[in-house]
Amino acid sequence: MSTSGSSNPEYVNGRVRARRAALFDEADYRKLVRMGTGEIARYMEETEYGTEINALGARHSGVDLIEYALNENLAKHFYDILDWADGQLYTLIANYLRKFDAWNVKTAIRGIYSGASAEEIADDYIRAGEFDDELLETLAAATSVQEAVELLDGTIFETQLATAYEEYEETDLLVPLENAVDKTFYERLLGEVDTQFVDRQTPKGLYVEVLQAEIDFRNTRNALRLSRTDTDLDPAEYYIEGGKLFDPAELGRLIGNFDDLVERIRDSEYGEELEDALSELADADSLIAFEQALDAALLEYSDQLSYTYPLSICSALSYILAKEREVENVRAIARGREVGLPVEEIEQEVVVQ
Amino acid sequence: MIELIDIAMQSSDVVLQEARDAAYAEELKMGMVALAVGLAAFGAGYAERGIGAAAVGAMAEDEEMFGRGLIMTVLPETLVIFAIVVIFLV
Repeated sequence: MSTSGSSNPEYVNGRVRARRAALFDEADYRKLVRMGTGEIARYMEETEYGTEINALGARHSGVDLIEYALNENLAKHFYDILDWADGQLYTLIANYLRKFDAWNVKTAIRGIYSGASAEEIADDYIRAGEFDDELLETLAAATSVQEAVELLDGTIFETQLATAYEEYEETDLLVPLENAVDKTFYERLLGEVDTQFVDRQTPKGLYVEVLQAEIDFRNTRNALRLSRTDTDLDPAEYYIEGGKLFDPAELGRLIGNFDDLVERIRDSEYGEELEDALSELADADSLIAFEQALDAALLEYSDQLSYTYPLSICSALSYILAKEREVENVRAIARGREVGLPVEEIEQEVVVQ
Repeated sequence: MIELIDIAMQSSDVVLQEARDAAYAEELKMGMVALAVGLAAFGAGYAERGIGAAAVGAMAEDEEMFGRGLIMTVLPETLVIFAIVVIFLV
C-alpha cells in the first residue's frame, strides 16, 4: 500500500480474480428476483455480505439494510484492493476510486438540497474514495449547498464546482453542480496521461484503454438520451472530454439526427461489441435495453482486456466494474421487489454478462 | 652434456605447459558450467517471483488453492534441473 516501488500486478491479479469469480452469477440473480426483501437479506447473509448484514441488521431493516450492506461491502472490497496494490498500480486504482468521492459529493449536495439530516446523508455515503471520514461528516453536517461547496475547496472538485455554483445560484438547479463533479472526475482520470502517445501495451496504456471506453460509452448514453428526448439542452454541457469516439462538435451535430448517431456508433471500433445492443435499440425502441447492453458491453470489454493482459491494471478495473454492477443489480432487485414490480420487469433491469 | 640437459629441460617445459593448458581448460569448463547453472537458477527465481506472488494471492482468497499454487510456483524449478544435467554432460 504505497505509491513508491514497483507494481505487483501478479498478486493483485490473483486475489482480484478469485473475488471476481465469487460474485453473484446468473443462477443467483434468478433466485434473487423471485425473493422478497427479507429473503434477499437472509440470502445475502449466507454469502460474503454476511458480516455487513449482521453488523447493520440491528439498525436497519428491509431494503435499507440491503442497500447499506451492499455499499459497505463495496467499500470494504475496494479498500482491500488499495491495500494490496503497490507502486503505479496503487496510484492508478486510487485515481479510479475517486469515483466514490464524486458519488459522495453528489450525495451530500443532493441531501443538503433536499433537507435530509446529516445522519441520513452519512448513511448513504460509500466510503471507498479518498476523502476521510472527517471531511465526509462535516460535509454531511453542512447546512447549505454553499457551505458544502466551500468545504470542498482544496479538493480536485474546487475549480469546476466554483464555476458551477454561480450557475446554481441563478437557476436553483442541481444539474450544473452534479455535471461539474462528474466531469472533474472523468477529466482528472486521463488528465495525467498523454492519451495520444501512450503505448497501448504498457499498464498505463491499458488503463487509458478501459477508461476511454467508459467515457465513450457514457457520452454515447448521454447522446442517445438527449436525441431521444428531443430537448434543446446543450449537449456540450454533458460532454466528457477524453474519449476517442466523439468530439464535441460532431456530437452536437449528431444529436439532432437519431439514425445518423446510431450509424456512427455502429461504424466505430465498438461497433462489434455493441452490435446486439444496437439492433435491439432499432427493434425495441427502448433506451433501457440499450443502456443495459452498454453496461454489459463495457464489462465484457474490460474483461476481455484483463484476459489478454493479465499482468496489468485491467483485471483490477474489470473487478471494480463488475462489483459495482453486482451492487447495482442487487439494489435494483431489492427496490423492484419492494414496490412490487413483476419479475420480468426486474429481470430487464439486471445486467448479467 | 649441457646441451642434452637443455633439451630435456625444454621438452619438460613443453609437457608442463601442455599440462597447465589442460588444467586451465578444465577449470574454464567447470567455471562455465557453474555460470550456466547459476544463470538458470536466476531465471527460475525470477519466474517464480511472479508466479509465487500470484499463487499467494490466490491462496489468500481460497485455501484450497494451496496445492495447485505450490505446483505452479515450483514449475520453473525444472530450469535448474535441466541446468544440472549440463554438469554431467561436460
